[in-house]
Amino acid sequence: MAEPVELFCWGGGWDLPSVHTDSLVVLAYVKFSGAKLAVKSIDWTWRTITASVPQLHYEGTTVTEPTQILNFLRKQRFNADFELTAKQGADTMAYIALLEEKLRPTLLHTFWVDAENYANLTRPWFTSHSPFPLNFFVPGRQASLALSRILLTKAESPLLNITEVEGKIYSEAKECLNLLSHRLGNFHFFFGDTPTSLDAFVFGHIAPLFKAPLPSGQLQKHLNQLDNLCQFCNAILKNYFTDPPAEKRMDYG
Amino acid sequence: MSLAAEAFVSQIAAAEPWPENATLYQPLKEDQILLSDSASSLAVQTFLRMCGLPVLVSCRANAEYMSPSGKVPFIHVGNQVVSELGPIVQFTKAKGHSLSDGLDDVQRAEMKAYMELVNNMLLTAELYIQWCDDHTATEISRPRYSSPYSWPLNHILAYQKQWEVRRKMNAIGWSGKSLEQVYEDVSQCCQALSQRLGTQPYFFSKQPTELDALVFGHLFTILTTQLTNDELAEKVKSYTNLLSFCHRIEQTYFKEHERESQSGSSRHSKGSLP
Repeated sequence: MAEPVELFCWGGGWDLPSVHTDSLVVLAYVKFSGAKLAVKSIDWTWRTITASVPQLHYEGTTVTEPTQILNFLRKQRFNADFELTAKQGADTMAYIALLEEKLRPTLLHTFWVDAENYANLTRPWFTSHSPFPLNFFVPGRQASLALSRILLTKAESPLLNITEVEGKIYSEAKECLNLLSHRLGNFHFFFGDTPTSLDAFVFGHIAPLFKAPLPSGQLQKHLNQLDNLCQFCNAILKNYFTDPPAEKRMDYG
Repeated sequence: MSLAAEAFVSQIAAAEPWPENATLYQPLKEDQILLSDSASSLAVQTFLRMCGLPVLVSCRANAEYMSPSGKVPFIHVGNQVVSELGPIVQFTKAKGHSLSDGLDDVQRAEMKAYMELVNNMLLTAELYIQWCDDHTATEISRPRYSSPYSWPLNHILAYQKQWEVRRKMNAIGWSGKSLEQVYEDVSQCCQALSQRLGTQPYFFSKQPTELDALVFGHLFTILTTQLTNDELAEKVKSYTNLLSFCHRIEQTYFKEHERESQSGSSRHSKGSLP
């Protein structure tokens, strides 16, 4: 590629290269596939409110959304999935759908809607990583987006009350984590010994839950009981993200 | 329902056998029901037939409002009302009928993942095409949805439903998608299902499971429903093993139904598979 490809993500924290699930998915895939691009964090810029993160810039075009970015990288021949069979590719799509439907609403709830976590962890982090005066708006906007997503997809109308949904989404998320644990079994990665896009997606969803110091984390406690998933996270962090994550600017290649 | 109430209902459900007069409620077949509701309803009917449980299908204009969760279809069994395929599968399991008992943990994880794929992609795509595509919404969805009601209620209800669905699409990030992208997503979903099915008769080799019921419900409805254009059906038809899968389930579980209703195919549905 003649020009460098730029990736905009949320910055790192809590021992992770990024605290944002979608950004982590893309960063992990970049590492797995060996793609060379310049990772720029959007912390302390106006992009915190204008950009839909993660965002890939290449020769004037912009690609957003993890699945679109992964497709783009595959077309540029940075493919972590070329050894998969057709059936495994289909399984990947199915498990990603499972993560989106069952785990993501609960992750959104844990970080953005649960009052204790939001007030003590999420809001301070995002406030301190946004420029003035956006630090007043960014966390609140993310929180209201998260709440509306949970209510619109999971709540039974007309009872749009978050407390009734909570029990249901937490039990679904625990079941989802159990299913992932069963599927992973004793292997290092979901499809044998090399990581693929499914590993990137699972890592992106689980890692913030695993590493963040949540004051009230019933889902985190459940995750800690699933040893193979915890080892999976640690292995990826150790083998692929050994750079200290506290730097604001990471350039590759 | 809260978790405690669900556990209570399961206990009560386990106490009684399946009655003869169990009823499934859905919107009116001829005039009112839309693609997505028809698909969900067919999935539930197929599942119950696969379990060998008798159920009467009753069409009501206000089925959506009678349902405890606002979604159709729902079944009325004994003195309980359960809606949507997921809870219905759990309910029948509490009564001792289950299709997925023979699966091990990894297979069950796969089955749930594929069911979520169908819900996430196919169902959302159906809702998008029905309500977010202006052409289809104006020509088909709004007139059909509000057909049992008189003016001005029909306008109000139709626009309210459209607004609700568009809000949901917005929340999950589908509102930025174009129609071609949605068709592409449907195609990818069908490709994944086709690859998983391969040459087997059912998704988990010899025995049908709730995944087979769900996939059949959606694919059969897509293939036999007339929309403004045939592009959605064409996407599905390009996968021959999915077509033969639908034929096989139709032949196995709906043969008697087909023979009875030869004369009564509705305007919306084209009747049997092409």
